[in-house]
Amino acid sequence: MTEDSLVDPLVTETAHRLLSEICDHESIQAAEATGQAPEIWNAFAETGFPWISIDEDAGGSGGSLLDALEVLRLVGYHAAPIPAAETGILGGWLLANSSQELPDGITTVVPNGRENVTGSVSGDEVTVTGRALRVPWARVAERIVVPLSIEDQTVIASIDSAQCAIEPMTNMAGEPRDTVTFENVQVPLAIAAPGIDLEAFRFRGALSRAALMAGAIEKMSQLTVSYTNDRVQFGRPVAKFQAVQQHLVWGAQDAALARMVAETAAREAARGTAQFEIAAAKLVANQAAARATKACHQAHGAMGMTQEYPLHHLSRRLWSWRKEYGSDAEWSSWLGKIAVAQGADQLYPLVTGGSAVLN
Amino acid sequence: MRFTPTELTEAELRLQQEVREFLAEELPPGSHEPCLGMAARKDKDFSLKMAERGWVGMALPKEWGGSDRTAVDRFIVVEEMLRWGAPVGHHWVADRQTGNVILKFGTEEQRERFLPSICRGELGFSIGMSEPDSGSDLASVSTKAERASDGWIINGTKIWTSGAHENDWFVCLLRTSPMEDGNKHAGLSQLLIDLKSPGLEISPIPFLDGSHHFNEVTFNEVFVPDTNVVGDLGMGWHQNTTEMAYERGGPDRWLSPFSTVEQLLREAHGTELENAVTELFGELIARWWGIRNLSLSVARLIDTGEAPSVESSLVKEMGTRYEQEVVEKLVHLIDLEYSPDSESLFERLLSQCVVTFPGNTIRGGTIEILRSVASKGLKGLPA
Repeated sequence: MTEDSLVDPLVTETAHRLLSEICDHESIQAAEATGQAPEIWNAFAETGFPWISIDEDAGGSGGSLLDALEVLRLVGYHAAPIPAAETGILGGWLLANSSQELPDGITTVVPNGRENVTGSVSGDEVTVTGRALRVPWARVAERIVVPLSIEDQTVIASIDSAQCAIEPMTNMAGEPRDTVTFENVQVPLAIAAPGIDLEAFRFRGALSRAALMAGAIEKMSQLTVSYTNDRVQFGRPVAKFQAVQQHLVWGAQDAALARMVAETAAREAARGTAQFEIAAAKLVANQAAARATKACHQAHGAMGMTQEYPLHHLSRRLWSWRKEYGSDAEWSSWLGKIAVAQGADQLYPLVTGGSAVLN
Repeated sequence: MRFTPTELTEAELRLQQEVREFLAEELPPGSHEPCLGMAARKDKDFSLKMAERGWVGMALPKEWGGSDRTAVDRFIVVEEMLRWGAPVGHHWVADRQTGNVILKFGTEEQRERFLPSICRGELGFSIGMSEPDSGSDLASVSTKAERASDGWIINGTKIWTSGAHENDWFVCLLRTSPMEDGNKHAGLSQLLIDLKSPGLEISPIPFLDGSHHFNEVTFNEVFVPDTNVVGDLGMGWHQNTTEMAYERGGPDRWLSPFSTVEQLLREAHGTELENAVTELFGELIARWWGIRNLSLSVARLIDTGEAPSVESSLVKEMGTRYEQEVVEKLVHLIDLEYSPDSESLFERLLSQCVVTFPGNTIRGGTIEILRSVASKGLKGLPA
């Protein structure tokens, strides 16, 4: 292993400790009820965690993308109800890569895909119009970033949230996924740096979700092992029954698999182009989430179906993240076309070499 | 339990390239009927050629004819062989596990006698574990070795002994002292037994498709000299468990259908693929990439001196089920009445997968047993 492939252990330790303190069952539940979690966000933001991997010159916290994704993995692990990815490696990244100021508060970003938002350039301004769906945490954001493709250029519009109409909507975990309407909002024109375009943003979004999902699946698996060792039926812990062991093993496998693919994709993304790894990581994580959620819920019995037990903080977030930045169909189709284009002789070299084979 | 991501070094990538060039020259596509993973044809000439390159018993020390290479180097050679469908059957067991067992537990004399010829690709080994009444409950084996002067007299039966009719030796797990109440793991020992020994009878048990892999091996007063006891008397269970860690979690547990999928892509070349078929290729390579990374990290862990039995059980349980899932997805999607004697190689391979892959989650420890091994190592929430 070379140095560029290692996470700073201090980042892991500090983020894990902080999130353990500020994110408990009650605070996550309260965030769902109110649609915001200012105490959690403020404590998290105070450390500079959201802006890791963005240069200090650009207003970020410095550090590597690998460290930023490790923090996201832990955000997923603790089911922290905060827009960490949007403020940092997605929105913050787009702002920094278009020479725009990072706000002190929350940044969110309009996920591209099926959004009906357009922009038109006139002079040194861009006018943004349209209705964006499922914008994470828009209601508490200071700025809303809209990446737009206009005449072969990628324009990054940074919009004051006060200039938009925001309808509160939620995802399956009760987290804000608001509808944002832009009515001829004019902002200064900012062009993205070379290599930063809607496609790169799509992959980056998928990478953020793979990291969050890896954390959440691991926590789900650990909760399940603990619960089934505590829960006694027929005079012994239910974890001793072979039929239950199957669920424990399947959950642990998918936790290991999701973490492996997320960390491998993170390592490659921190070095350069990692389209194969990111696409494969998101697809594998999507499918792992589906299998692990089923196994972990089953092993918990009725208790896992209640609001008072924390499994749902993880399982419901996973249902949402699975569909964000690329469903199973989108990524399997993208990867399948690559495989078919490479051809039979290159199929295994693709499995072992990934993006290195494609470059 | 932690699977740490790892990647191949420059030197390891060169080895990978070397193996690919060797295979392209020895077995160009179209020149051979690919095998389905570890259930590969025995081709002693091929094994000898691999051995010339130093790729058989490669992780064994040079002193004993090996190449002092790592578990990761062996992983690289094995994955390339399996994905190519190469005929690695002759040296398979010796290379994967028996060489390690003899190195780790054997005497100097045994090492000298067996390891160099294993590394030359000459000796073929079988595995003597299961018995008619002892499968998953392996510690209940009852084949007895009784004291004689300078050796042991064996009576009993081993079963499912793959390749016993073609191989030279097998390492047997035997009861060298009677079962004690409450401690069935004691009193077991491992003995090296010549498959041509007088009194040893080998009878075929035809595989469900008529092919001959399995045998029943019966011992009638078979004499085995003291010098063939591997390790310490009574330590057979422990040694056998260590052996299992080598047997599990490697590429042989998840690559078996690869050559079939590759052949589908080859035969589909130039035709317009349905979206569902394109998506299937994407799905398969993504998961193979993920499972390979897990399996590779287990090999890396072995190189740090650990015996990761929980990790390797977890990977094997997952990998063998994945092999079956791959076949089911192919069957579901490909609108063909495939047959074992079709003109299409893909159809022939698929037919073979369909019929034989139910065994993949059984051989070398059923997935039920693997779950019980793996679940003991699972940790809950950190305190």
